[in-house]
Amino acid sequence: MIDWSAFLVVALVSLCSAAALVSLYSLGLRLLTVDDRTTGRTAAGWACFVLCAVGVLFGIYLIVPALHS
Amino acid sequence: MDITLIVVLVIAVALFFDFTNGFHDTANAMATPIATGAMKPKVAVTVAAVLNLVGAFLSTEVARTVSGGIIREGDGGVLITPEMIFAGLIGAVVWNMFTWLRGLPSSSSHALFGGLIGAALVGAGLGSVDFGVVLSKVVLPALLAPLIAGVVGYTATRLAYTITRRRDDKSERGGFRYGQIFTSSLVALAHGTNDAQKTMGVITLTLIAGGLLTPDSGPPFWVVVVCAFAIALGTYTGGWRIIQTMGGGLTEVKPTQGFSAEASTTATVLASSHLGFALSTTQVASGSIIGAGLGRRGSKIQWGTAGKIVVAWFITLPASAAVGALAALIASVGVVGLVIDAVVGVAVIGGIFLISRRRPHDQGAAIEVDLAATSVLSRRRARRAERRGRVDTPAAGVEAPFVRMDDPPAPAPTRGGSTPDDEVRS
Repeated sequence: MIDWSAFLVVALVSLCSAAALVSLYSLGLRLLTVDDRTTGRTAAGWACFVLCAVGVLFGIYLIVPALHS
Repeated sequence: MDITLIVVLVIAVALFFDFTNGFHDTANAMATPIATGAMKPKVAVTVAAVLNLVGAFLSTEVARTVSGGIIREGDGGVLITPEMIFAGLIGAVVWNMFTWLRGLPSSSSHALFGGLIGAALVGAGLGSVDFGVVLSKVVLPALLAPLIAGVVGYTATRLAYTITRRRDDKSERGGFRYGQIFTSSLVALAHGTNDAQKTMGVITLTLIAGGLLTPDSGPPFWVVVVCAFAIALGTYTGGWRIIQTMGGGLTEVKPTQGFSAEASTTATVLASSHLGFALSTTQVASGSIIGAGLGRRGSKIQWGTAGKIVVAWFITLPASAAVGALAALIASVGVVGLVIDAVVGVAVIGGIFLISRRRPHDQGAAIEVDLAATSVLSRRRARRAERRGRVDTPAAGVEAPFVRMDDPPAPAPTRGGSTPDDEVRS
């Protein structure tokens, strides 16, 4: 009656994607506000934000039916 | 039966349902950014309204059935008449208005299902409702949605606090406010694509039943336009009572928590709608906020409010079913019944609106407002008030003893309510 396998998939995917997005954003914030900023750290920080932006774009892709159907 | 009258009535009440759907669900996307000051209240509802409008135009493929299998419609099942749809919509609208009055976030789709079930039970008997589907599509997801969203929200919040933990006195957590703008916008867009469609479906199916459209045709363009604007207008009106419950009534939301909660809501809603296990956005959003509240050390959850919300979820279906059944019973008299339904419906909605104006604060709500107002109160204003010796508790920083719940919370003069450095380090 209840599709438990689908529920499990939804639970895992939600957990992983939310965790990934939040971790990337937090890491980006952290890397860009450290005291001893190096070029590498700044670049890594921005890379985190770019990955977050990719995540948001993927969200838009999923929301808009014309893009994926 | 005059087919034109009933079609006009259904369209009118369906559009009003769309409107209540909009203002009921503004909170899902915008409660936390408003509470943390990521967006000013008016800006937040405007963004949500525009995204709902855009979303409604993006997705116009309507469902083939009104109830999604809950009522045995189609071949071998019952015929859902426009009268039943009308009675069901009245049940849904009345229940939506009532939960709004109480500031309770409840699912608009469940209210619609409930209303239709009630109307079908009266109009077509007990066999017309598939209770197995009710259990698997409404009751169990209502238990699972907050659970899964709570776990996701808790995990995300713990991660965010752990990653941004620092030894020195600096904090970068204010930066989470910018992130919130994106995540809550995604929730608003997803809402527009999902929920405006429901009303389009109801109107289209009524037009087909009335013989005004050929079977299997999509919604006419004017239906898309009016539905899109009805939901956007509703969203813009902003259900401030529900926004205050979710933005401050459940727990005091900090930017880090707000971002984590919205990210969890977005992830869970998108995963559920694309991987074949439908969950209610309202229930997911509430669960994420509670999870985020549990994830910050030192933050308190108002379990009394959370309990009231859960009770509202479980009585949404039977309550709107009862109203729908009553409306269907009256409608079965004929045209006179329909007119009585319409008049009583308008009177009840008008009455609820008047009560909301006259009694802007009942006891339960006052605590919620207090908390919500604190969370939008800037540190500077709070300190100023404290210096004047007016307050001794953090929640009493509100200038007036009560804030009218219908008015948007006063926007904080600085960038928002909770400064990043007053967050508890974990």
